[in-house]
Amino acid sequence: MTFWTICAQLLQGLGSSLMIFVLTLLFSLPLGLLVCLGRMSKAAPLRGVMRFFISILRGTPLMLQLLVVCYAPYYVFGCRLTTDWRFMAIIIGFVVNYAAYFAEIFRAGIESIPAGQREAAEVLGYTRNQTFRKIILPQMVKRVVPPVTNEVITLVKDTSLAFVLAYSEMFTVAKQIAAAQTNVAPLFVAGLFYFIFNGVVAWGMERIEKGLAYYS
Amino acid sequence: MILEMNNIKKSFGELDVLKDISLYVDKGEVVSIIGPSGSGKSTLLRCATFLETIDSGEIKYMDRAAAWTDESGAAAYLPPAELRKVKSCYGLVFQQFNLFPHYSVMKNLVDAPVSVQRRDRGEAAEEAKALLIKMGLADKADAYPCQLSGGQQQRVAIARALAMNPEILFFDEPTSALDPELTGEVLKVIRQLADENMTMVIVTHEMAFARAVSDRVIFMDGGVIVEQGDPESVLGDPAEDRTKQFLRNYQR
Repeated sequence: MTFWTICAQLLQGLGSSLMIFVLTLLFSLPLGLLVCLGRMSKAAPLRGVMRFFISILRGTPLMLQLLVVCYAPYYVFGCRLTTDWRFMAIIIGFVVNYAAYFAEIFRAGIESIPAGQREAAEVLGYTRNQTFRKIILPQMVKRVVPPVTNEVITLVKDTSLAFVLAYSEMFTVAKQIAAAQTNVAPLFVAGLFYFIFNGVVAWGMERIEKGLAYYS
Repeated sequence: MILEMNNIKKSFGELDVLKDISLYVDKGEVVSIIGPSGSGKSTLLRCATFLETIDSGEIKYMDRAAAWTDESGAAAYLPPAELRKVKSCYGLVFQQFNLFPHYSVMKNLVDAPVSVQRRDRGEAAEEAKALLIKMGLADKADAYPCQLSGGQQQRVAIARALAMNPEILFFDEPTSALDPELTGEVLKVIRQLADENMTMVIVTHEMAFARAVSDRVIFMDGGVIVEQGDPESVLGDPAEDRTKQFLRNYQR
């Protein structure tokens, strides 16, 4: 197996990792905002539920959560485990886990906005909804870009956990080739690919940060 | 009567901040409220603007009750939608300006008239431009608050409040966050509004300004109104010992 065929196989694995990455971000960011609103709600029961949900998701390994999501339907309802379901389970597991982290980041962002902003909006007669949408949310987004960047970069590397559900993401592919060829080089090439992937992510997030730098 | 506050009581836990305070403001009147820190001046303004809820008493705007004490003795307020209508009667200028940092000066002035009062955007923009000219900030329409000095930010905040066409304007220590040089430009604008017969309630530590601009001065201490009257008598020849003591300390 030549170096280039190894690279081609790894790139295919990278495509699978990218799929998890994109779908997770697409759903976990909005879900995180909803969880955050629940966590900050006036209704104490909802707040309690969200706090519990977040503590479980942050307090247990993501790998275990993936296994639970994947196998729970089989053990509880006796459903068959299809390949499609495995992929769905991976996405659900990642989305829910990352939503919990994003929710706490968003909460910190909202709480760091001076009370005067909300008060000024209130006196001007904005509704609660308008105040959140027009005044609080845009300022929160600016404040959370750096911590969100951290999570997004972690997510790139976490995609390798999908191996527990037998999904051929890049690192799984790298390990298979390494084992077959009795050569560690594929692992390092995979490492290089993760590094480049994250370089692109960091660059993109920096652009967003700069785009929001027009005010302070 | 633009504003009528009757028997307002407010406490934070054990601390009684407002002890049965009544305050009336007539159309065109400029009322200054002075007093030591912790005397309840700011809390009174925050109760009048519904940023704090009163424990009991009555608040009326334009002769219409917005808050009152119900049979059980607790304070009751108009429902939120009705209360928002009352809110368009008044504007509040904060000590810390509280401009929206992500909006340009123009958007700070136009957004609330358009999205709260549902006014025409073009018309609101025209009015905002006129207000900026009046504030001496015609060239700052496209600037962001962070690019302005404190005095300029406070003048934008005054313009933002005026853009809602309020009947009465409240100022909560509008110059306390400014250095003396910038204080002057803000006071000049407020004085100009007084000359145009804008109804205003000003919580301030600027005694000379209060004396020059007010129709009535109120001295508060310990959650009560100790003394009130025309500025010359309250500030020049106070009747109460507590007022004399405060003014003496102030002159030092």
